Amino acid sequence: MQNVGKGLENSGAGPGPPARSWWQRLEAWGHYCFYLTLRLFGRTGGYLLLLPVVAVYLLGSREIHRRIRPYLRRRFPELNRWRLWLATGKIVHSFGRVLVDRAWLGTGRGRTLEGETIGYERLLKLVSKGQGAVLLTAHVGNWQTALAHLEQLPVPVHALMHYDREAAAKHYFDLGQGRRPFHIISTDGPLGGMVEATAALQRGEVVTIMGDRLVKGSSVSVDFLGDPVRLPDAAYVLAGCVGAPVVAMFAAKTGRRSYLLRIRDIWYPGWQEREQRAEACRQSAARFARNLQEHVDEYPYQWYNFYDFWQQ
Amino acid sequence: MEDLKEKLKHILIDEIKLQGITPADIKDDMPLFGDGLGLDSLDAVELVVLIQKHFGVQISDMEEGKKAFTSIANLADYIREHQA
Repeated sequence: MQNVGKGLENSGAGPGPPARSWWQRLEAWGHYCFYLTLRLFGRTGGYLLLLPVVAVYLLGSREIHRRIRPYLRRRFPELNRWRLWLATGKIVHSFGRVLVDRAWLGTGRGRTLEGETIGYERLLKLVSKGQGAVLLTAHVGNWQTALAHLEQLPVPVHALMHYDREAAAKHYFDLGQGRRPFHIISTDGPLGGMVEATAALQRGEVVTIMGDRLVKGSSVSVDFLGDPVRLPDAAYVLAGCVGAPVVAMFAAKTGRRSYLLRIRDIWYPGWQEREQRAEACRQSAARFARNLQEHVDEYPYQWYNFYDFWQQ
Repeated sequence: MEDLKEKLKHILIDEIKLQGITPADIKDDMPLFGDGLGLDSLDAVELVVLIQKHFGVQISDMEEGKKAFTSIANLADYIREHQA
């Protein structure tokens, strides 16, 4: 299993030193057992293997409780210590199921989950206007699996993201059979990939961005679950400058074999004078945060930002 | 060519709203990003859109843009080459 304590994009073991530590060897052996189980016993085997792994994390890692607690305290202020502990277990378990699904999909041909995209027709209509679109999503639900279905869009899809070759993300998109559904624009490149993202939008293409994770760069402060949090604002500058819409879209695992991708909101960030840009971006980020809050109200145990989100 | 550089300087000041700077303060070889004029990645978005709007030239990736974005002189060269 992945190290859930580091969050989705940073949950791999990392390049590491040439001489592997006992923990890295143990982790590598764990990966081998995990994929062997998937091959021999399918997804059900993966889910069963998950149970002792989750138990070990819950009982043996104070870190995972510490990292999830800031979210749970705000989402469930009424829970006592014991119920918070259980809620942590639910989140770790749901994250594990998402990883199992992703590995299962990535290691076999023709495997799919049954999915529904609410608002897909609206997205198609927007894309057909040729203005491009900024798809803004978050680390909730099985977002990578769900995003794979965007390959059906009639225009190229790009993901503006920090690309960690060792991250959990690779287990679906990189271990698959060369079918990564989108082109990655790395934020580690010159000017954070913004030039490439702008050009893609100008060509009428789609750029997906994680609207919740602030790694570096410009940000604004908005309210989320009752407290201020800093969110990146690059997506709104991109959309506003090019005249493209922002589409807030979130994924959720809705059953053993099913997922939901819901387009919750669409709007056009805009400003008349440049001095108004910062406030326009703040309003857009606040709108995104409200949409995200509605989503976690509905799917509270599918929140996968495993760090103090309010301190980012 | 001088007209093009002057126009670019006015675009930077009037539309990207560089504060407290006149066209005469912007040297042709002054770096646009980081040290120099101090533009950032969000300004790059605006600059790419403004170049498309004013000159009909698209900068599609940083392979192309890397040299163009180093100074006003190189940006003017880029625009002139791609307008032809």
